[in-house]
Amino acid sequence: MWALLAAACSCSTTPAPPVAVRIRWAQDPENLDPMVLPNPQAIEAANLLHCSLLQLDYAQQLFQPALATGLPARQALGDSLTVFTYELRPEARWDDGKPVTARDVAFSLKLMACPPALGLPNEDTRLAYRFVHEVRQEAAFPRRVSLVCAGQAPTHLQATGTFPILPEHRLDVAGRLRRFSLAALQNWPATQPPDTGLTAFAQQYQAFRVRQRGNDLPGCGPYVLAGWTKDARMTFRRKPAWWADRLPAPVPAVLRAPCPLLTFEIIPDEATAGLALQRGELDLFPQVPARLFAQLRQSPAARRELAFHTAPSFEVVTVAFNTQRPALADAPTRRALSLLLDASGLLQATQLGEGQRTAGLIGPADPRAGCCDSLPPPAFDPPRAAALLGQAGWQRHPDGWRRRKIAAAPAPALQLRLRYRTGDAMQEIIALQFRAAASRIGVLVALRPTEAGALGAALRAGDFDLCVRTVKGNPFSCNFMPLLHSRAVGEGNVSRFGTAASDQLLERLAAAATPAQQARLLRRFQAMVREQDPLVPLFVVPTRLAANRRLAGLHAYGLKPGYALTALHRATATEPAAVPAP
Amino acid sequence: MGQVAHRGRRRAALAWLLLVAAAGLAAPCLPLPFAPAEPDLLAVGVSPAQGAGAGHWLGTDPLGRDVLAGLLFGARTLVLLTVPAALLTALLGALLGSLAGYGQRLAAPAPTWLLGAGLGWWGLALPRPALGLAAGAGAVAWGLGQRLWRRSPPVWALSLDALIQGAGALLGTVPRLVLVAAVATGGTLSLAGLGLLLALTNWPGPARLVRAETLRVRALPFVEAVRALGLPAARILGRHVLPLALRPLRADLPLRLAAFVGLESTLSFLGLGLPPDTASWGRLLDAARLDPAAWWTAAPPMLALLLTTGALLALSKK
Repeated sequence: MWALLAAACSCSTTPAPPVAVRIRWAQDPENLDPMVLPNPQAIEAANLLHCSLLQLDYAQQLFQPALATGLPARQALGDSLTVFTYELRPEARWDDGKPVTARDVAFSLKLMACPPALGLPNEDTRLAYRFVHEVRQEAAFPRRVSLVCAGQAPTHLQATGTFPILPEHRLDVAGRLRRFSLAALQNWPATQPPDTGLTAFAQQYQAFRVRQRGNDLPGCGPYVLAGWTKDARMTFRRKPAWWADRLPAPVPAVLRAPCPLLTFEIIPDEATAGLALQRGELDLFPQVPARLFAQLRQSPAARRELAFHTAPSFEVVTVAFNTQRPALADAPTRRALSLLLDASGLLQATQLGEGQRTAGLIGPADPRAGCCDSLPPPAFDPPRAAALLGQAGWQRHPDGWRRRKIAAAPAPALQLRLRYRTGDAMQEIIALQFRAAASRIGVLVALRPTEAGALGAALRAGDFDLCVRTVKGNPFSCNFMPLLHSRAVGEGNVSRFGTAASDQLLERLAAAATPAQQARLLRRFQAMVREQDPLVPLFVVPTRLAANRRLAGLHAYGLKPGYALTALHRATATEPAAVPAP
Repeated sequence: MGQVAHRGRRRAALAWLLLVAAAGLAAPCLPLPFAPAEPDLLAVGVSPAQGAGAGHWLGTDPLGRDVLAGLLFGARTLVLLTVPAALLTALLGALLGSLAGYGQRLAAPAPTWLLGAGLGWWGLALPRPALGLAAGAGAVAWGLGQRLWRRSPPVWALSLDALIQGAGALLGTVPRLVLVAAVATGGTLSLAGLGLLLALTNWPGPARLVRAETLRVRALPFVEAVRALGLPAARILGRHVLPLALRPLRADLPLRLAAFVGLESTLSFLGLGLPPDTASWGRLLDAARLDPAAWWTAAPPMLALLLTTGALLALSKK
């Protein structure tokens, strides 16, 4: 009898399903097309699905080869061009077994450069990779690709390797883009209608996106999308036979993905996410609000279950002006209004003083912070704000401020609408503080809390006067064009700022050849931002992670999302659990 | 004994409501150290014990706003919103209920009905608004044609009772909160706008009460008598029927107020309706969600809501 029972027990043992690592997301990624990526969550998801030539090794704070066998060979061409030559790994394969080749790299770059008339969602990437002028392929070496870049900026090395590579044989079966050079696509005249081949390609690409209901374009990254319930949950499953698993040991850190299942729980409410973490329904809560973080750290019960990690970050909290609004079109008015933001008080109130004040978009933790050391942080001075508004041509009336009347035209009023993400305590405190300071000098401010999903669309459409926005910093790049270039209006440039001089400065900064030239231009850039005030940098928020102690491979980093996603896994019996940072 | 206790409860309820009304109306004149929507950046989420020294007698919410100021100005919002809205609802309900109950019929020439329907279609921007304009133009042409041929157009009479009951039933098919929330989601509303919205979506309740009472009163002998005297219908309704038919509203008004208090708090809790810088008890409760440990943010508005609703319910009992 006992023998039978024992036999039955031994037969019924089936392999346990993989246990997911559960991570909190504040909002839904909305779109997984690597050309769109409307929010940080979408970028995180894209990094799981797709691979690029180089990927960031968070631990070393360096870009390391991913699809490429090594860092690119760099060659200067004259004094204005640089060629970066990459060799692709022979092991790199798509899911259907076909190799990743130079054709895929060229296709990905051309896709990002397609002219606007095609209606592809590539506005941001078109601008970001405009510095790549030519893609050279060699028939004899299908895994070798050379990228000819404008300028000799040291940051080009990283920038040329960090875009997702997409499969040409799946997305452009007929090879229609091959007929066009990268430069021809980049410089397609706005007045010239697109070629029929290009139009057919765009239709096919859009149809593919629609057919793939989750917008999950095929990628050569370690994970596939296993489930997506909008605004609730997103699950990624590790590919059972990912190409990087066949690499000889030791596998590079950027190509390790030990976790079999990653689940992102979309919980917009911070307090709810905190409770879920304490109840063990979440394994990782990134970007914990300062107050909740302090409470958890003080709680003995939470300390038993959770590990806490912090690191200085590059994320700058800003208030952006819509510079295309008539009332905010002039820099003196924006400068006056920026004096109504109490950055020191807000840092104390929202971060419990743990972040850092910043005078510009490059925060103190950034290695290039010395470029803005001459600028003092913006001051909080409502009386001076009122005086500056007067100098900017505004007159105070009992019902608010009005511009001095010009001829018979009605005098425009200074009535502002401030948008921020609803449910985000930090943003709400900033909005309330600005409104209170503004009302003290008679400026009317209406608050418009907006759901995270609708906020992005409202900002891109310019449906606001001011908005609270966190700008993701990147110490490896000096390309601020997606943030402030006039060609990025309606996309990343929510302040809709851009003059001929500022555009030129941003382009020169992105192409700066030497560190000295870059530093000089960065200094000018920071001064220009302060003078024009399209956005007001307030402070830098630190990275704060709270995680279940059973989670291994977790460390806090300054770069978004603040941790290396592909390093996370559940600690095994033989492996120590996550150790909190001292 | 029971009556004494009941009278005591009513007095206590009345006293609390008067206190809320007085505090709300006097809030701007009170020497409060902090405005309700102004965050104190140096005292975010402090308890009454920690904040008393800085003038935050009831502490601050997780956004740094003074809880006492929020409570007092929240009472003001409640008084200025719910009392006019409840009175307007009662007025609208009385008017429509009495018209429905008295069995009036609305008669007008057919082209006039058609013109009204067409213009209404166009004005409400219903699908294909041009269709409404075309119907209106057709109605005008019909009326002119009838006049040209010296014929009188047909007169269509519409039962007001059926119309009002139908409109009330239509409003009743959608839950009140869902209806108000759907309209309020379109954008922030002013106090007057939200009050009007509450009245326009809540009149069927009092209208049904007044209609039923009007039906009863119009059958009484003295009404028959004044009708036999040949008095006009409007006078009979206004002078003789309404004073009796409006009696149920006295009991309904406190209940309606209690419902509006709950509705306003719910809307504010959900972040709908009033602007986010307008103080409200519901908004204080909403702020308490940010920090569940901050009991001092949730307890005062919860207690105030409980007492106010309880007091209104006590007043509605005979």
